[in-house]
Amino acid sequence: MMTEVHSAGQSQPAALGVGSHYVRRAGDEPAMQEAPLRARHRLGYGQILALIAALVAFGIFVRSQAGNPNMDWNVTGEYLFHPLILNGVAVTIQLAVLAMLISIVLAFGVAVAIQSTNKVASALGRAYVWFFRGVPMLVQVLLWYNLAVLFPTILGRDTNTLISGFTAGLFALSLAESGYMAEIIRGGILSVPAGQTDAGVSLGLTRGQALRRIVLPQSIRVIIPPTGNQFIGMLKATSLVSVIGGSDLLTRAQLIYGQNFKILPLLVVAVLWYLVLVTIASIGQYFLEKRFNNSQPGSRQARKGAGTPGTTTTAIRSMTGGALWKRQRR
Amino acid sequence: MEATAPVITKADTMLRIDGVHKWLGDNHVLKGVDIEVRTGEIVCILGPSGSGKSTLLRCINHLDPVDGGTIEIAGERVGYETRSGHLYEQRERQVAKARQQIGMVFQHFNLFGHMTALENVTYGPAKILGRPRKQVLATARELLAKVGMADRAEAYPSQLSGGQQQRVAIARALAMEPRLMMFDEPTSALDPELVGEVLATMRQVAEEGMTMVVVTHEIGFAREVADRVVFMDQGRVLEDGPAREVLDDPRHERTATFLRRVR
Repeated sequence: MMTEVHSAGQSQPAALGVGSHYVRRAGDEPAMQEAPLRARHRLGYGQILALIAALVAFGIFVRSQAGNPNMDWNVTGEYLFHPLILNGVAVTIQLAVLAMLISIVLAFGVAVAIQSTNKVASALGRAYVWFFRGVPMLVQVLLWYNLAVLFPTILGRDTNTLISGFTAGLFALSLAESGYMAEIIRGGILSVPAGQTDAGVSLGLTRGQALRRIVLPQSIRVIIPPTGNQFIGMLKATSLVSVIGGSDLLTRAQLIYGQNFKILPLLVVAVLWYLVLVTIASIGQYFLEKRFNNSQPGSRQARKGAGTPGTTTTAIRSMTGGALWKRQRR
Repeated sequence: MEATAPVITKADTMLRIDGVHKWLGDNHVLKGVDIEVRTGEIVCILGPSGSGKSTLLRCINHLDPVDGGTIEIAGERVGYETRSGHLYEQRERQVAKARQQIGMVFQHFNLFGHMTALENVTYGPAKILGRPRKQVLATARELLAKVGMADRAEAYPSQLSGGQQQRVAIARALAMEPRLMMFDEPTSALDPELVGEVLATMRQVAEEGMTMVVVTHEIGFAREVADRVVFMDQGRVLEDGPAREVLDDPRHERTATFLRRVR
């Protein structure tokens, strides 16, 4: 302990000479900061010019299109909340959410298969990703829709009645997406340090158990952000279903302009709805990421407010099937 | 801790490493290593980096398979079995079972990041051994108290210092009531100020009669705690003897140079 009391105000020498030795004593305080430093920003001419240019360009575009007879805004307004369109929006949401959920489930299986020590499973998993990621989504949509050509009946029933535009679209989107999701999940698995597996295995888990119980829960944090991106992509990809009459938003818009020939106004209706959906999804993604990043023990934020981590852990637990004690095996 | 480990009947040899060879790619990491550790003995393995010490530990609990020789824990081969004259690698579940009796403490702690300190310690006995919750919790809290971490039981690894994490990791390994504890450079990743608390915990484990194999660069710890010191270089054992003899009066020239440089 420092016993010697220094007279207040005496501060450390401005610069230490060669060979001098400074020891801080009680009462040594640095000079108080008198006023915060305020530097003025220089005027950014580039920014102002860019803004003017953008406004002018936008103005010209609006002026040229506002009076365009083919761009009938009344029709757009009329159909924006038309029951057929609203129904199409609902179908699009359903399609996107269901396809995403199915693809995530499939992708977990495929990712684990690829990472497993079972060489056959690993090869099959890779082949799966190769095929479903390799074939364009649009082609897959058409393939599933025309399955009846190869298999006229499935389990004794007529294939064409069994597989509607919606189900064919759902299969195609789910499978194509699962190829991407499998790679995302595999990336998440690889992001967890190998030491975690070593520790689990040393404790007495098998490699598979360590992967499922130790590595996967910790990979969720890395998997969430790209999954949000994929979902936004999926919302838009549902429009592919329109080629097989999947009764989604774009199909409905096409149906209506097929009858009244107001093509652009109805496409604008579709544009507006897609933008609304994507905006909502982006906001959702923002909060999801925030929740998973901030509260995850191990993130920078968690260190700052060392008080209450664990919300993610709770989230993960509810995803991985309940509390630690519930899953006692054997 | 109560002594629940089964009584060893045959010999008092806990670990027998016999002519072990290991290749990592083109690299001949272990070139015929023989080491024997008796029950209750504390053996420190010293040597320069790249001498194969850590690989040897990984081979002992079959994290890495060996390419030659045998490793036995209490008379049983780890990871392999002979059936009708042929040698087979054991099934995952059997190996996992064998590993339960070998505790391992890593250089980088490797605590499970999504679990609190307490959950890290309870995980093994609760989820792997399937012991009842009440008993597991009680022993886990006891163990955490023993390593001086009782007040941080609810903390996540990221909220703990390296030294604290390593002490929890030791408690996690002890919770499985292993017959043998292996430490792989347990203090090498720590700030110099934190080394002491981990070594103190290890000393405590040693005093309770645990059989320990410790790969370390802490000569002081080896001198104080170890019964025997093994010096390895380039995949071979160069010297193996009573701790003080090897450390104070090394007979192999390479050991002497190493110790002079480390000191």
